[in-house]
Amino acid sequence: MIPAPGDGWTRLSPRKLLLDPVKAVGQAIIPVVVALVGISRSDTRFWPLVLPLVVLGPLLLGALPWLTTHYRLTATQIQVRSGLLTKRTSTAPLDRVRSVDLEASLLHRLLGLQKVQVGTGVDDDRITLDALAVADAHALRTTLLRRREAPPAALPEGAGVAEEVSVPAPPPPPAPPLARIDWSWLRFAPFSLGRLVLLAGAVGVFSQVADELPIWNEETATSAWEWVTQFAIAAVVVVLAVGGLALWVAVSVAGYVLQWWGFRLVREHGALHLTSGLVTTRSITVEEAKVRGVAMTEPVLMRLVGGAELATLATGVEAGVTQVLPPCPRDVAVGVGESVLEVAGPLTGPLVEHGPRARRRSWFRQLRNALDVVALLAVAWWFLDLSWWWLGAVAAALLVLGAAVGEASYRHLGHALGEQHLVAGSGTLARIRTVLETDGIIGWVLAQSWWQRRIGLADLTATTAAGTERVVVRDVRLDVAVALADRATPGLLAPFLERART
Amino acid sequence: MSDEGGTPVLRAPAHRVSPRAVPYWTVTALVGDAVLVGAAVVAWLVVPGVPDWAGLLVLLVGLAAVAHVALMPRIRFRVHRWEVTDTAVHTREGWIGRQSRIAPISRVQTVDSRQGAVMRLFGLASITVTTASAAGPITVDCLDDETARRVVARLTAITAATEDDAT
Repeated sequence: MIPAPGDGWTRLSPRKLLLDPVKAVGQAIIPVVVALVGISRSDTRFWPLVLPLVVLGPLLLGALPWLTTHYRLTATQIQVRSGLLTKRTSTAPLDRVRSVDLEASLLHRLLGLQKVQVGTGVDDDRITLDALAVADAHALRTTLLRRREAPPAALPEGAGVAEEVSVPAPPPPPAPPLARIDWSWLRFAPFSLGRLVLLAGAVGVFSQVADELPIWNEETATSAWEWVTQFAIAAVVVVLAVGGLALWVAVSVAGYVLQWWGFRLVREHGALHLTSGLVTTRSITVEEAKVRGVAMTEPVLMRLVGGAELATLATGVEAGVTQVLPPCPRDVAVGVGESVLEVAGPLTGPLVEHGPRARRRSWFRQLRNALDVVALLAVAWWFLDLSWWWLGAVAAALLVLGAAVGEASYRHLGHALGEQHLVAGSGTLARIRTVLETDGIIGWVLAQSWWQRRIGLADLTATTAAGTERVVVRDVRLDVAVALADRATPGLLAPFLERART
Repeated sequence: MSDEGGTPVLRAPAHRVSPRAVPYWTVTALVGDAVLVGAAVVAWLVVPGVPDWAGLLVLLVGLAAVAHVALMPRIRFRVHRWEVTDTAVHTREGWIGRQSRIAPISRVQTVDSRQGAVMRLFGLASITVTTASAAGPITVDCLDDETARRVVARLTAITAATEDDAT
């Protein structure tokens, strides 16, 4: 049942009749149970009256959206009509369709359904069809994306469009995927700290609960502490560390598997198409014409094992930054990145270093942070009247750490200009390399703080509509910055340049 | 551009902002700093048993405020410049730091002008030119309102003529 263009409005999949009541029951279950308990206590005579209501209510409510929602494809538009009392019609011109994303929760998948979201490049305005049968959803996606590929003017007038689609199109030759999941990549999961937040949250919840436990009062704590210090402090520390590590490995690996199960990245219909997910499956489309660059991130722990992450920077989608690869080997990230950029080099080529003055600033910046912490600690020490010897040790450690981080952040600095790409290296602990098409640059900001002016450095920001909307080349020599901006966007700066007189 | 030898240097944009910006900045700085210093003095007087060095601190705040009111508007007037050519908008601003901003006119999306109540007293207006990037708005502070009107009209005319979606 491929949705064919024409007059006919099509309903969503009838299986939605099963989906929505289950959802409705899920939402209504608690009030209903409460009501039932209340009634059963007071009087049993109302049971025959109440029970059908309880059963039929969710069914009816769940059926409403299916009864009232219709959609259709015309030769030029996709239209969706919904609402019982207030009718709402959403339309999107087919040539404005930028993305078609499919998503399926576990329930959707059990019923063979998918939620379809059609993006038109306007940030918030997405058309949602929840839910279509899997085959219909895929057919719709293919139709919409392929239509966008062919300019409407090239189609024959009128009927041509209808014929093309109503005949089930022969499946296109499957494009070789740019990347697919390789379970040896699981080794990167524990080194990617994004999920640490989740774990910290869980620990926080546990500590809340633990506080309430009767065993957790001062006496037991003190006696436990004494016991620990007497017998087994080393053993307890080791057990805690090993236990924490094991928990972390389990959580991170499980999260990785849930998120990236069946991951595939393919290029089709002029778009990058990503599918993944074990329980909830996602299918994300990024139109290649809107991709202005990529960002490759190597977090500090992942660097140890040669891993990296890759994101595309695109304009006209909700989040301009789309992570298109799971944590994976650096070579894979570079390969996919170059394939997306359609040019080799920007992700691997050498960067122009920013010189000793930039290094000094990187060092000073981190050392100052360390000093701030030391100052705070000193105040705390003073109040608590602790041994100053400890503070000295902590301060020394912090300063050494600050110096190391400063050196690292300097080594990540750099810039380069390819034929069509501006490359910026950044990051304090993580090494980040951002590649932006020079065509995507829509302005420059050249900023100098007072310190930077004294030593002739500047922060050069290329503004863009893609991704995070800016690419910063930090602490670069002023003349180098001006020359870089001039070469990246030929002609733009020309009226404002003059030769140095020296 | 970079084929004649010698390093290229970004020159200052051609036009200064309106000279009336100096009294305007002075007044706004004066009001803001007066509130701050006043609060500091009141706190110093009211809080019982303040240590001696707190008085010194209040004095320092006061001196800094005086320096700010006296110097900031003049430095800022020297730094702030703007220029609109047929292809680009170029501004320079700041007083301790410096910021130069350049955006091609073909990428300009909106042109706003803004005139607050105090600005109206001084006959000043500000223009903000935005592009599709959140990092890219360019503001020309404190033009006299006649110039501001002219620049807005010109920019609007040029941007209306470009058809791209400016991303």
